[in-house]
This record gives sequence, C-alpha cells and structure tokens, in this order.
Amino acid sequence: MRILLVEDDPDLSRQLKAALADAGYAVDHAGDGEEAHFLGDTEPYDAVILDLGLPKIDGVSVLERWRREGRSTPVLILTARSAWSDKVTGFDAGADDYLTKPFHTEELLARLRALLRRSAGHATATLTCGALRLDPRAARASVDGEPIRLTSLEYRLLHYLMMHQGRVISRTELVEHLYDQDFDRDSNTIEVFVGRVRKKIGPDRIETVRGLGYRLTPLEGESDA
Amino acid sequence: MTDVAAVEPAVETRGSLAWRLIWLAAGWSVLALVLTGLVLTQAFQDTAIRRLEGLLQATDIEVAAVTRVQGDYVVTPPVQDARTLRAYSGKYWSVVEPDVQGGFHPLTRSQSLFDYGLPAPLDGPGMILAAPGEPYFYDAVGPDSQPLRIMAVARTLPNRGAPVIFLSAMDRSEIDQDITNFSFLAWSALGVLGFGLVAAVFIQVRVGLRPLYALGNAVADVRRGKAQRLVGRYPREIAPLAQELNALLDHNQEVVERQRTHVGNLAHALKTPLAVMLAEAGSKKGLLADTVRRQAELMRAQVEHHLQRARAAARAQQTHQTAPVGEVIDELATLLERAFRAKDIEIDWRAPDDLVFRGERQDLQEILGNLLENACKWSRSRIRVDAVRAAPGRLSIRVDDDGPGLPADQRQAVLKRGTRLDEEAPGTGLGLSIVDELVKSYGGRLELGTARLGGLRVELELPAFET
Repeated sequence: MRILLVEDDPDLSRQLKAALADAGYAVDHAGDGEEAHFLGDTEPYDAVILDLGLPKIDGVSVLERWRREGRSTPVLILTARSAWSDKVTGFDAGADDYLTKPFHTEELLARLRALLRRSAGHATATLTCGALRLDPRAARASVDGEPIRLTSLEYRLLHYLMMHQGRVISRTELVEHLYDQDFDRDSNTIEVFVGRVRKKIGPDRIETVRGLGYRLTPLEGESDA
Repeated sequence: MTDVAAVEPAVETRGSLAWRLIWLAAGWSVLALVLTGLVLTQAFQDTAIRRLEGLLQATDIEVAAVTRVQGDYVVTPPVQDARTLRAYSGKYWSVVEPDVQGGFHPLTRSQSLFDYGLPAPLDGPGMILAAPGEPYFYDAVGPDSQPLRIMAVARTLPNRGAPVIFLSAMDRSEIDQDITNFSFLAWSALGVLGFGLVAAVFIQVRVGLRPLYALGNAVADVRRGKAQRLVGRYPREIAPLAQELNALLDHNQEVVERQRTHVGNLAHALKTPLAVMLAEAGSKKGLLADTVRRQAELMRAQVEHHLQRARAAARAQQTHQTAPVGEVIDELATLLERAFRAKDIEIDWRAPDDLVFRGERQDLQEILGNLLENACKWSRSRIRVDAVRAAPGRLSIRVDDDGPGLPADQRQAVLKRGTRLDEEAPGTGLGLSIVDELVKSYGGRLELGTARLGGLRVELELPAFET
C-alpha cells in the first residue's frame, strides 16, 4: 500500500512517516501544496493524508484540483481548525475523512485502515444518465463534472433510479429500497427525498408519472456519455 | 446583552422632537395671531370713534355759528337737521353754563332732547373751562338710557361775561354694535387661521420627521436580523447618519472577523506542536513520556475549550445573520456519513425549506456538527433529525440516535465542561458542553432525553428568523 503524506511541519512529518512505515505502508512525503499536487498527479497512491494548512497552495485547493482532474484516491484531511465550517469546506472539496489536530497516531492509523478497506471494495462501473454521473466506488455523484452533495439516503434513491433508468418506479418500491427495516416511515418520505434530489441534480431529470411513480431520464439533447 | 442594558440604561426617552417642533411653531403662531387680533380691533374701534367725533364737531360748528346773546338770554335758532328735531332721536346739542354743584344748567337745547339736560362729565366741568375753545370728549348716559358720546367746548360769547359750554352728543350704540360685529368677525377668522396653522405645522412635522422614523425602523430591522445593513433612500440631512451606522456595522463585523481569525491562527499555531508532543511521548515509555502525554492531553482540552468559548463570545454579538437550517443539516449529514462510512451510518433528516436560524451559520454548524458527530459515534446505524418551527420566532431541532442512550442521572453531567463519558469513542468530551454554551448564548435551550429509536435524544430550541 502506497501512501502520500502531505504535511509541512518537519517534526510531525518525521513522526507520522515513522509510524506509517512501522504499520507497513510505503510512504512518500510532500512538504508543500505544489509538490503534493505534482506527486498525487503522477504517482498511483492508495490513499492521501493531507494537511490543510500548507505553504504555496493550500490543501483544499490541491484536493479540488485532484477531484476536478478525476482522481478519486481516498483523502484523509488533517486540520488544526476544528470549526465545522472548515470541515465542510474540506468535504465539499472532496475529502473522505477528517482528523482534527492534535490527534493520537493510533487514531490516524485506524482511520487510514478504514479508508483503504472501503475503497478496496468490489469495483463497480460508473453509472451515467446524460450529464449525471454516479461513481459507486467512491460513492460520489456529479453533474457536468461538478460534484454534488448527497446524503446516503438520497444517494441510495438516485442509485436505484439510475440502475433502472427509463423505467417507472413506484413509491412502494422506492420506499422499500430506501429503508431496509420497517422504521417510522412518514407518508411523504419519497416526495421529500425526490424533491431534495431534484434540487441537487436539476428539476427535470426525475419525472413524476401520476399515480404510478417516478422515472429518471436524461435531459433532452443530452447524449449518454 | 439585554442584562447590561437593563442595569445601565444608556438612552433615556425624554420629550419628543415632534412635539417640541409643534409646540414651538404653534406657540409662536398663536401669539402672533392674538397680537394681530388685538391691534386690529383696537384700530377699528379708534377709527369708528374718530368718525363719530367728526360728526359731533360738525354739529358743534353749526350750533356755535348761530348762537347769540339777546339781553340776559342765550338764543340758538333751530338748527335745520331733522335728527335734532325729533325727540330722543340720538342726536343732540345744548348750550349750558356750569352750576355750583359741578353739573350743567342748560341755557338752550335741541328739540330732540325734549326737556332732558345733557349730563356733565363725572369729574366736573373744570377740564372744559380750563381750555376754552378746545373740544373735550366724554361718555355719558342720555335720555332713554342711550349711551352717548359727548363733545364739550367752552366759549365766551360777545355781550356775556361768563363763559358758556357748547355740548354736542350722539348715540354711540350703533358704532358699539359695529365694533362688536367686527371683533367677532376678526377673532373668528383669526381662530380658523390659527387652527389651520397648527394643523399645518402638525402635518409638516410628521411628514418632515418621517425619514427619522424610517431610519429607526431600519435600525431595528438590523437588530432583529431582518436586514444586514441599512438600505433605502434618506434625505441629505440624515443620509450621513445612515451611512455612519452602516460603517459602524461593517466595522463591528470586521472586528468580529478579525477576532475570529486571530483565534483560528492561535489554534493552528498551538495544535501542531501539541500533536508533535503527543506523538513523540506516545511512542516512548517511562515516567517522563507519560507525564508529557498527560499534560499535553490536558493542554489540548484547555486550548480547545477556551478557543471555542472565545469564538462563541465573539459571535453572539452579531445577531443580524441568518442560516437556512436544512442546508446546514444537509452539508453536515453528507460529511459525517462519509467520515463514518465504516459504520454505514444513515442520517435521515427533515426540515422545512423555509426554516431559517437567526444567528451565524458557523454557530449552527458548530452546534449541529457536534451533536451529529456525537450521535454518529454512539449510534449503531440510524440517526433521525427533525427540525420544525416551534413558537413564533423559535425553532426546535431534535436529534435521535439508535445507540445505547444515556441514563437520566448522567445527563446533567455530560453538559459540564470536560466531562467525558465516551472513554472508548474518539473525541475530546467537550462537544456537548460547547453546544450547551453556544445554545445558551443564543437564548436557546438544550434538553437530553430518550429517543424513539432507543438511543439518546437531544432537543434544541433556538431563535428562528421570521420572514
């Protein structure tokens, strides 16, 4: 397993490199944003540990560039800023997990293991519907290459609709797929989720078929990429 | 903030600008009108009386021209004016000599007097005799209780040693009536004018001060969080004030931002060295390493706590910010589901689209981020969040998880600073106490209970922005 460690503090870098090497990883180190971007762009890493406060280019920008260029390598961000707004910014840029400084080395190793296990799951092909793309491996969706934010229930709904593109799916079928158990389902659950997903992917992709259910179709003029 | 205002009132309401302007303008107008009224009626009265006295002088000249002495008698042939012939007509003349009692003894008189003698002035004929040839006017009561204006002139007739007094008199009730009529008319007109002026002043002040009221409302809107800054058009006189207020708001915002940046920088500066110390000590054995690790751990908790508090204090000042609740839950839910993907956490949330928190977005993120992160740590897989509109201006958010929950006797303890019940779950144990402090700084409430899913329920009440 090959890991890229991006951290500008020399002491912390030395400690983390040693700990990662002890745990059996091959570690490359970058001390600034420029170097980090270059390495992540050219070398095939299994995961990246990325500090957000970096010289030259900050961590969020590096991450955004990678994601825009289509790299889905799992990224764990390290941040000294514990404010939630900073974490949200990091996740919107494409992070997969966060760790707030200061942290225990064991915790970092545990998070890294979880991250690698997840991404190692069976590879599934990317789903598309016009400009809408769904990458089940990274559990990410995008419209025209712009990443969109989906909660897991919204993701599950969209995933199901994309698996059955062009078919009318009834509410019952959707709700059964959304919740595995008979939890407290509100009567309008499906409307709520369809409404939210429409807001995120554009209002016209999911069509309401009166009395029957919903159907996902590409927009007119959109070719299946 | 409100407490301070209650103890030390900096602004006290006294008087009203509008009433001050109205009283000044109205007072001056009324005074001017009263003076005008007095001068007008006096002038009219003087003119009317002078005209009457002119008529008396004409009569006097006529009578004096024809009066002669014949032996012991003073004779005046009838003057050819019809009014002096008809009894009690209101126009009279008489030639008299003063008697010993200070009254008059008539020597001859107009037919209109019949046998009535014109009375002497109350202070006697002395003044008249002292200035012979000069007219002297006085008022008296005549025949038939007529109010008379009388003119008296003392003259010496040829062939008579003792001077005689020529009297001409006219009924003045007619001109008195004129004066009364005129006064009534003048005062009524001036009264109407006065009312009109006061009303005009009233309207003028109200309309003129309207921009000030508008400014006051705009400032109140900013305070209530309905607006960020003052907008709208203001007259030249108060536009600078509005601009200054905006500059002050901007400055406030800037100070808060700067404080926040400082706080963030301090956090960043301290945290990396702490991480280094923790890692270094963690990899070694021995008393020194243990002590360093324990103390570094304490420092981390302290830094975190005090920085969070400083941030909360800096923010609670700003009340004109708003944040849509659903959007904040959405971004936190996607973040946490991804971060806790190993556990397959599912955050099912409901919030009306138009539910808006009245306060800083960052604070709502902080409150809900910590609550949801706690829920993620403890839940097995399901978390349910319901945000609803509560009382007017309030919203309520409920976070339920399906974890082990918290026994009632431990609920108070977790809100205290630094208490950490979650020894095995990662975190500083400060999450809930910081949330509690933030919620309180917004005048909200936080309650712990049992969720329907079986785990812990955290229920929040926060200020809502009403559209």
